[in-house]
Amino acid sequence: MIVGKKGKIKKMAENLSESGAGRSLWKDARMRFMQNKAATISLFILLSIVLFSFIGPYFAVWSYEQIDWNAMGSAARVGMPSIESGHFFGTDDLGRDLYSRVIQGTQISLMVGVLGATVAVIVGTLYGATSGYLGGRTDQIMMRIVDILMSIPYMFVLILLLVVFGRSIGMLFIGIGLLSWLDMSRIVRGQTLNLKNKEFIEAARVTGVSDFKIITRHIVPNLLGIVAVYATLLVPGIILAESFISFLGLGVQEPSTSWGALIKEGAGTISYDTEWQLLFPLAFFVVSLFCFYFIGDGLRDALDPKER
Amino acid sequence: MINYIIKRIGIAIPTLLILIAVSFYLMHAAPGGPFTSERPLPAQVLANIEAKYGLDQPIWRQMINYLWGVITEFDFGPSYKYHDRTVNEIIGHGFPITLKYGFWSFIVAVGVGIPLGAIAAIRKNTWIDYLAVGVSIGAQVLPNFVMAPLLIIVFTLWLDWLPGGGWNGGAWQYLVMPVIALSTSYMASIARITRSSMLEVLNTNYIRTARSKGLPTKVIFFRHVLKPSLLPVISYLGPAFVGLITGSVLIDIYFSTGGMGYFFVNAAFNRDYSVMMGITIVVGSLTILFSLIADLLYAWIDPKIRY
Repeated sequence: MIVGKKGKIKKMAENLSESGAGRSLWKDARMRFMQNKAATISLFILLSIVLFSFIGPYFAVWSYEQIDWNAMGSAARVGMPSIESGHFFGTDDLGRDLYSRVIQGTQISLMVGVLGATVAVIVGTLYGATSGYLGGRTDQIMMRIVDILMSIPYMFVLILLLVVFGRSIGMLFIGIGLLSWLDMSRIVRGQTLNLKNKEFIEAARVTGVSDFKIITRHIVPNLLGIVAVYATLLVPGIILAESFISFLGLGVQEPSTSWGALIKEGAGTISYDTEWQLLFPLAFFVVSLFCFYFIGDGLRDALDPKER
Repeated sequence: MINYIIKRIGIAIPTLLILIAVSFYLMHAAPGGPFTSERPLPAQVLANIEAKYGLDQPIWRQMINYLWGVITEFDFGPSYKYHDRTVNEIIGHGFPITLKYGFWSFIVAVGVGIPLGAIAAIRKNTWIDYLAVGVSIGAQVLPNFVMAPLLIIVFTLWLDWLPGGGWNGGAWQYLVMPVIALSTSYMASIARITRSSMLEVLNTNYIRTARSKGLPTKVIFFRHVLKPSLLPVISYLGPAFVGLITGSVLIDIYFSTGGMGYFFVNAAFNRDYSVMMGITIVVGSLTILFSLIADLLYAWIDPKIRY
């Protein structure tokens, strides 16, 4: 008799596993987020910056690696920001157009931030969810590994990696991504521990869903809220790390650039009356980071009301 | 408690060994040895040099020799680049400097951060709160490498109050800007953590009980609120310490203070493996030791921790 109903049970299990993530929660969250003025404005500003970094190049007169020989070496007199010369943000010390360079730096920094955060989120979520769901000895060992990795001074290791394997954006991604999933995995594990004794997980287990599928189809979707919050807060952290490395001169390679590299160049020449070389990249950097933090806070309030 | 300490040390030691092994392996996986230069050395000379530094032996043997030297004699070997200096000398020169401004930065971060967060929590939704939150968010997006040039613009170029760099034996004028640049963002994080955890504690039932039975505000604050709300701060101290040490790399470069960070980056550019490794190990042991202390402190304060 039981055998005869196997198809039905399977179908039931499929139905169970396909029940959506509760639309009302996300709708609710969106409404709460929209009510948060700081977060909404930040989102708007951030989107404008992203849009600018894509549209901006079409208005540029100079490319980011082209040298204006007039301005070279005399940036303080000739290279100031002006519409006529085509250098909207002025030039750097080598006579390269800062407008194009800032745009390029924005693209690279944001890309590193978003991709690095994506790597960290995927690795951290799967690791944390697995560890929390399996529990017991596996959990202990997995978390012990995280403890060990956490107490390693990772900027030093990252510099080691960059020196050993050569400086490249790819290495930077891998290094930063691999080293920043640790917090994520801890948070996710904590949430998973709360989730795993809920009825719907038990139901899934009873209907014979495999561990892997329970983790990916039932646990991870329910973690999305908290993951989204921490991902938004992770992006500025990674941008900071990348900028730090670039500031040291170990990050992106010339002629490519990033916010950190631009800030470094600008900071190196502050005593020659060329403050725009520092101020333009710095403004983009600071404003974007502000936006990320406000959006993260807004998301947290929206998705996790009890945190307020 | 003793058991917990032993268990915690049981984690710390393998961590350190893993760190040493990984950095050692990385160093040797690197393309180009320390003696690769534009003008290639004659094969025999190279072989002699490698024999002198023990580089002709198998890697595991080199690692054991190295470890043995570090553990028994605290000897990190010679620098591959500056042949007349040992890694010990370089660390001995840079470390006290890093330690000095690192210590003061830590004091400032904790000593300003906690009161700031506490005031913001107690006076929630007043201008003091908004100011404190504003300052802490502002400090968050102004990391040390942005703070450093800004400080130099203001205090050296505009106001001409402080020297723009150098160390000068650690006189206070040379200490002010590095400490501000290094401590600000950690101060901000500590303030934010203190504020939110204190708000949570202030909303608990036992604080309401304490209030309703008429305890004076001061007693409630110091006896009932302060300790539990400092717990998250203590668990943040470990990461904050790592951050301070990491930040020292930048401070040394920017303010020419000549601490360990300067030698580390220099070594990174010169492929001076032994120096890089020595510094990584010293810094790593420090952070591991520090997170050990922070954890023990946490266990000592929090009665809920079972060991």
